[in-house]
Amino acid sequence: MTDTWTATTVAISPCGDAALRVTVDGADTDRVWAAVHRLAGWLNHGVIGPSVTAVPTYDAVLVEFDPYHTTGELIASHIRAWDTTAGEHEESAGAVLDVPVLFGGEAGPDLEWVAEVVGRPVPEVIDLVCVKEHLIRCLGGPAASAMMDGPDFDVPIPRLATPRLRVPPGAVSVAGRQAVIGPVAAPSGWRQIGRTPLDILRTDSHSGTGTHPDTDGHPDLDTVVPYRPGDRVRFLPIDEAGYADLLGAAMGPRHDG
Amino acid sequence: MADRPELRVESATACVVTDLGRVAGPARGLAVNGALDQFAARAANALVGNAPTAPLMEATGFGVTLRPSHDVLMSITGAPAEPTVDGRSHPAWAPLSVRAGEKVRVGISDAGLRAYVAVHGSFDVPRLMGSCAPDSMIGFGTHVTSGTSLSLFRSHPPLVNRRFGATVFDFGIPRDVGRVSAVLDAVDGPDAAEFGPGLQRLYDSRYTVTPRIDHVGLRVAGHVPQRSITGEVLSRGVPIGAVEAPAGDELLVLMRGRGITAGYPVLAVLTSRALDNAAQLRPGQQIRFRRTTAAAATAAYLERRRLLDRIALRARTAFAELR
Repeated sequence: MTDTWTATTVAISPCGDAALRVTVDGADTDRVWAAVHRLAGWLNHGVIGPSVTAVPTYDAVLVEFDPYHTTGELIASHIRAWDTTAGEHEESAGAVLDVPVLFGGEAGPDLEWVAEVVGRPVPEVIDLVCVKEHLIRCLGGPAASAMMDGPDFDVPIPRLATPRLRVPPGAVSVAGRQAVIGPVAAPSGWRQIGRTPLDILRTDSHSGTGTHPDTDGHPDLDTVVPYRPGDRVRFLPIDEAGYADLLGAAMGPRHDG
Repeated sequence: MADRPELRVESATACVVTDLGRVAGPARGLAVNGALDQFAARAANALVGNAPTAPLMEATGFGVTLRPSHDVLMSITGAPAEPTVDGRSHPAWAPLSVRAGEKVRVGISDAGLRAYVAVHGSFDVPRLMGSCAPDSMIGFGTHVTSGTSLSLFRSHPPLVNRRFGATVFDFGIPRDVGRVSAVLDAVDGPDAAEFGPGLQRLYDSRYTVTPRIDHVGLRVAGHVPQRSITGEVLSRGVPIGAVEAPAGDELLVLMRGRGITAGYPVLAVLTSRALDNAAQLRPGQQIRFRRTTAAAATAAYLERRRLLDRIALRARTAFAELR
């Protein structure tokens, strides 16, 4: 098998004294993305040290570290020696999440505008959003938002010139070729087309007390959202009654029977 | 059940219980958060013999008044005005032995913005991913207001130096330790080249700290370098300290509560030491950025961490002798 990986390159740039940006460049964006996430997983596994953490996105990993414990040069040399193809064929398929969405109206104030940009009637736009499984590429700011490949529109969707000061939790928005679900209320310049009634963020079950700070018991490294990069989202259109029924239900992966 | 020691808060405004941050957060989409002046927070815990990651109080802009139910050992660092115990002044950046029921007043000096209060044994507060650091985005954290009572893991017998009859220690902390500089050291960012020769003006210009300063970012008004190339940037992880140029006439310096991804190019990145300094800047203050290298920044950072190591060692030794 010819390996096209040789056509990709890894570039490492310093970001101040406590971070590095590692960018992967290559013709196949899916392989670049997969490599970025494998690299981050490898780094987050503690291979260089517990003070090293990695944030993977699309084509880059932000590596943060404590310069008291290690150096950017040491980390860079580890990354250069890392086998970019290790585990390439062992990736397990991610989970699928079914996410009910109320489209348009107050729940999606930009839906009609998006339909105009796309040049199709609103129902067709909703079909385009719901017909595919959207791959979660990374978790982004704010608060572990699910950043996904967007619907297959013919044109990219421009962002708002002036971001909204607040979009509600559960907002489903599009911009460029991307889609996003936001777990919390936050400012956003993306085009909000709908909203899910599901509860996404959970912090209560993880917030135990009584761990003594000096002994620093095993930290709970669980996540606060029910998805991770590599999972896929299927949007299901619902009406206002459906929205009211599902309000506050927990988001979770599909359990195939 | 024996009554548990607690710290009663008689007055507090913008005050939280925090720590060095949620290190496990960024890989899971959450900001690291935690004490903005990491040096002052580390020093406060070191001075009372706590682990570096122990929860402590961060008071921003406004002072706090505290009354412990038991004898405790405290320390106050950052930019505090001289603390008082029942009206008597005591030095900051030193261990402070407080008797049960005494009133501790911590003000904020005009020279800075944030004070840190550590108590030997620390506070029993909820944690998320191993950290108590507040995260305003997800609504997590322990906010301290008037009337709050914070549970302490333990009390501490009064510490009195037998020779002086008072808590006098010398831990080798420099006198100017809390000085806030108007010069912020920064290293050219990973996208510096996109700004071409215009980047130099970042280092030649003066900036004014705006009132829009919080855990997420510090906005400064002044010359905003323009990118010499255009085009959309893919969302990428952005480092703490990133100096960004969004649209408008202000630069944004990202602090520990920043969303972990952004699509703006990064002109420069503040050094770790400069970030501690930036945490103490007040609105209206004039600042400038000074170009440095990652190697020089690391050397400056290590010098401070070694100072903290010496403080922690001397504190532990002193308390062991006094027991």
